[in-house]
Amino acid sequence: MTSSVLVALTIGLPWLGALCISFGVRDRSERAQHALAILFAVTSGLAALALLPTAANATILRIPVGGVFGDFTFNPDGLGVFLASVATVVGSLAVIFSVDYMRGEKQLGRYYALVLLFIGAMAGLALTGSILLLFIFWEITALCSYALISFYNDDPKAVAGGIKALIMTQIGGVGLLVGALIVYAYLGGYDISLLIEKANTLPPGVLNVLAFGFLIAAAAKSAQFPFQTWLPDAMEAPTPVSALIHAATMVNAGVYLLARFYPAFAPVPGWTMAVMIVGMLSALLTAIMALVATDLKRVLAYSTVSQLGYMVYAVGAGSILASQFHLLSHAVFKALLFLGAGAVIHAIGTRDLRKMGGLGRQMPLIRTTFIIGALALVGIPILNGFWSKEMVLEAGLSGGPAWIWIVMLIGAGLTALYTFRVVWMVFFGAPRGDDNHGATHAHDATHAMRFALVVLAVGALTTWLLIGPFSGLIASSFGAVAAGQPHELSLTEMIAEVVTAPATGIALIVIALAIGAAWWRRDKLTALGNRLGWLSRMATDSFGFEWINRTIVRGTQAIAGGLRVTQTGALNWNILGIVGGLIVVLAILAMGVAR
Amino acid sequence: MNNAFLWLIALPLLASPFVYILGRIPFSRAAFRTVRLDGHLVLENPRSRIPAFLALAVMLIMWVFFAMTASQFLANGAQSWTFGSVSLRLDGLSLLLAAVALGLGTLVVIFSGPYMADDAGEEKYYALLVLMVGVMIGLGCAYDLFNLWVWFEAMAVSSYLLVAFYHEQPAALESGVKYLVQSAAGSVLVLLGIALVFAQTGTLALDQIQSAARATVNAPALLAAGALFLIGYGVKAALVPLHTWLPDAHSQAPSGISAMLSGVVIEAGLVALLRSLGSLSAVTPSWSTLLFIFGALNMLLGNLLALRQTQVKRMLAFSSLSHIGYMLLGLGIAVYSGQPGGAEGSFFHLINHALMKGLAFLAAGALLYCLFIATGSHNALLISDLAGAARRYPLPALALSIAVLGLGGLPPLAGFMSKWQIFVAGFQTHDLVVMGLVIFAALNSVLSLGYYAPLVNMMYRQKPSTAVQSGKPLPWIMGIPLVLLSLAIVAIGIWPTLVQWLSAPAGAALVSMTAFGR
Amino acid sequence: MTWTPLTLVLIGVICLLGVGFYGLLISRNLIKIIVALQILGKAALIAFVMAGNVNGQTGQGQALAMTIIVADTIVAVVGLALAVQVRRRFGTMDIKALSNLKG
Repeated sequence: MTSSVLVALTIGLPWLGALCISFGVRDRSERAQHALAILFAVTSGLAALALLPTAANATILRIPVGGVFGDFTFNPDGLGVFLASVATVVGSLAVIFSVDYMRGEKQLGRYYALVLLFIGAMAGLALTGSILLLFIFWEITALCSYALISFYNDDPKAVAGGIKALIMTQIGGVGLLVGALIVYAYLGGYDISLLIEKANTLPPGVLNVLAFGFLIAAAAKSAQFPFQTWLPDAMEAPTPVSALIHAATMVNAGVYLLARFYPAFAPVPGWTMAVMIVGMLSALLTAIMALVATDLKRVLAYSTVSQLGYMVYAVGAGSILASQFHLLSHAVFKALLFLGAGAVIHAIGTRDLRKMGGLGRQMPLIRTTFIIGALALVGIPILNGFWSKEMVLEAGLSGGPAWIWIVMLIGAGLTALYTFRVVWMVFFGAPRGDDNHGATHAHDATHAMRFALVVLAVGALTTWLLIGPFSGLIASSFGAVAAGQPHELSLTEMIAEVVTAPATGIALIVIALAIGAAWWRRDKLTALGNRLGWLSRMATDSFGFEWINRTIVRGTQAIAGGLRVTQTGALNWNILGIVGGLIVVLAILAMGVAR
Repeated sequence: MNNAFLWLIALPLLASPFVYILGRIPFSRAAFRTVRLDGHLVLENPRSRIPAFLALAVMLIMWVFFAMTASQFLANGAQSWTFGSVSLRLDGLSLLLAAVALGLGTLVVIFSGPYMADDAGEEKYYALLVLMVGVMIGLGCAYDLFNLWVWFEAMAVSSYLLVAFYHEQPAALESGVKYLVQSAAGSVLVLLGIALVFAQTGTLALDQIQSAARATVNAPALLAAGALFLIGYGVKAALVPLHTWLPDAHSQAPSGISAMLSGVVIEAGLVALLRSLGSLSAVTPSWSTLLFIFGALNMLLGNLLALRQTQVKRMLAFSSLSHIGYMLLGLGIAVYSGQPGGAEGSFFHLINHALMKGLAFLAAGALLYCLFIATGSHNALLISDLAGAARRYPLPALALSIAVLGLGGLPPLAGFMSKWQIFVAGFQTHDLVVMGLVIFAALNSVLSLGYYAPLVNMMYRQKPSTAVQSGKPLPWIMGIPLVLLSLAIVAIGIWPTLVQWLSAPAGAALVSMTAFGR
Repeated sequence: MTWTPLTLVLIGVICLLGVGFYGLLISRNLIKIIVALQILGKAALIAFVMAGNVNGQTGQGQALAMTIIVADTIVAVVGLALAVQVRRRFGTMDIKALSNLKG
């Protein structure tokens, strides 16, 4: 009973807040908007955290809607509550950060309403037990993401980035839609548990479509290969939104989807391999792109895709625990990096790495927290990123082919390289840029920003200590423990496992070599893009995928424009349409008779 | 009172002349004004608010009859009434059409109060609007082929006049002429079809035709009649390639009429098509193929043609084509499988489309009114004119956003739910081709976001267009229908079975009436 | 094929349809288009009389034909009213002038 109230609060409070802000306060009082947004986001976060102890794999709220809509169910098991907590807690921090970042912006009400709507939808996505409802929340998050990317919608780049994200995630969403339709049409209900139990009763061809449909949906949502192009363009959003939606929560929904349905799809031939390859390609390609990008937020976006690739890879290799643990670490340290980047951008007013440099002295707190996040991203002991990444690599070595594992190791090395490059270009070296106008006026973070940054930095240092209860949560979501499925893992066990694993040593050597190389040639890092030549050119074009996107969009628009000729406006032609239609229909009917 | 539905039909037909005549009577001295037109001194039409209030009163009384009709129907099932050779029968489908026509009609009357206040000839407008609503309800209840055609023709004539209502504007006149000629050509085809059926079976009653058709499978005369019905009524239902009148008429009519045309009139054409084709359902299994072909064409062409439009109302008009496509898909699924699911989904989508497209046209109309009509201009509303509209006109902008996002099929709005029901029915056939069509439809929904989303985006820009800056404030009366429709769309989106009492009997009626199930 | 009255009527109907649609497809004068619509309408009403004759319900066929005459006339009246307005606003009856709405 209490947990159903908590579920309702977790999802409902942010939505109530969104209503209050958009219809109650409007744009009359900025202070009230900030205060209400924080109030509703934080209370929702507390409700989600309160769900943690009681998380159990059982449906606690069932709303019978009837018809073909089945029951709207909520099933707050460990996996779901975990993701809901990440969404609401990081959401709260992003909202707190926004108080400073968005101060004085126009249409603040719309901003907060959408952010809160997103937080509620994301929590709903995690907590629901119905595939239809999952799809509905999935689409709401996509809509919020679109609206927030295009928030500065007088800027054509923001508008283009938003529509690109919307269309690409929607095309992927068709995969999830097809899956949900198949589940209902063949199994007669929308319950996730129903699918997991009865997946083996589906005809094999249908199950294949289902499994790969979900993979397409997950890849599009998590910006995985071949949909990786939307996330960098989504960086036109206000930075707290990038931290929340495009780093810590929504993009994780794809990984969550794969993990959630792993037990149902693992037996599908080729599925796990496809998942691993998608993860590998995403991790490797975007790491190269991050290496040559010159926009601070785009580097972080590429890095997000790359790290999501690791999580997808872990699912494919059969370790849901590793993937979700990396998801947790990544949510914390990437939110930290984005908010740090946001603070930098807010202070100096540009996102171009080439115009930064030497900012560390003016903004020591931002520098320190950003470096903590960067070290976690690289995977330096003892930060949370180290433990989770080592667990991913270890799972990959045991559960997947060696060649993919080697590629992932190279990816880890590249991660170290580009992370070092970013830190160096932003905070160290000589101030760059034409007039260096920004850097001289740079200032350190203000109160609300400081709070969010420090909390997240502490998180990046400590979340790995939670492995015991965390693994319990994940394990409890998967019922009977089959081979390769998550089991409880205490802290000491994890430390022992990671430290003794051969993967760890090799990975650390690769990372150390990469950092060493970067340190050795640190003066050349700024112009790295020029030195890499053709590789750099390919990387900035997303290895041809930007071209494919452009071609599809232009082709569709050209066809649409061309078709307008058919609307001649001449009455005689219109009549010809009627006569022609009649003849064609008669012909089809005649063919039907002949057959 | 038995047969409340007769009153539901009779009241508007009887009241319509009174709306006109009372509107013509000059009750005040101020009504006798002369104006100079084309160099001649002419007596201006009296301007009075009487027709508007009278029309609203008629609509409200009709709601009473509607409530009685609905409760009788839900308690006792279908009702019929025969007078000589004319028989009317109210079943689920009729009730659905009545509800949609009356609901949208009432809101349009409210909306038109301020919208039409400055136009001459208000009394004609309201009289025709009331007449059109009544005739559409009658169309839903017609139970023989010829009777159906008569109602259909009456609806068509009243809508010709309403489309060409701004007859002093060349564009409105042009669209009226095209609409009339194309519809009349279609209506002749329908007549030929009826003649063929009459010659072959010797009867016009739908149920008798149906039993006769079952005895004569593949009779060439009946096949040809079916093709003629499909094309003839298809002109009004805007099947591609018979749709060419639609974008012109929808964009040039007064906005309230655009809402009616798109929300009810083309659907009434679809209902007439279903009734006629349904009686011939046993003749050939090809009907479902044809519905699928037209459905796919409508979805694809409607969306592609809408993609590059620059006028708001014209874009919405093209999007109507694609929504007819979804309905055809659902109906095709029902015909193909013999299960009511697809038809229920289609009729659910019909209701939702009436709400969403009605709201879209009314909200666009409200903006058009504030930006242009109130300032005395008759420009077309361009998408770029809407830049920054949300700051000055938060309600119409929000309403238009809800409407188009619902049309684009984003949950939790009504449009998603009805599309979902159609899609589920498609997958329940377990047939590869049908499932492929459903995926095609889903991809089309994504494509449609390519023009809906930028429209929403445009309204929430910060830099207002010059039209927005010089716009007039929104009359509060216009806000009422916008609020009601927006709430309905959100409510149905959150609780999709809210209107199942309407859509389910309609789906069942279609399947039983036409014996699609065989 | 024997030349019964029925075949003659049938041929007549088909000819009228042909003339009507030809007019709609070719003619550019609005009045001619409305005339073509009328010809089509007449084809339909003859078809009804014929249909009544075929199935032995001549009376009903003729009654329906009368109704069609009424309905057809109303459409013609509305069409001509629009034609008058077209002439007034455009100064021409050529429907080429009526093709500004396109695309």
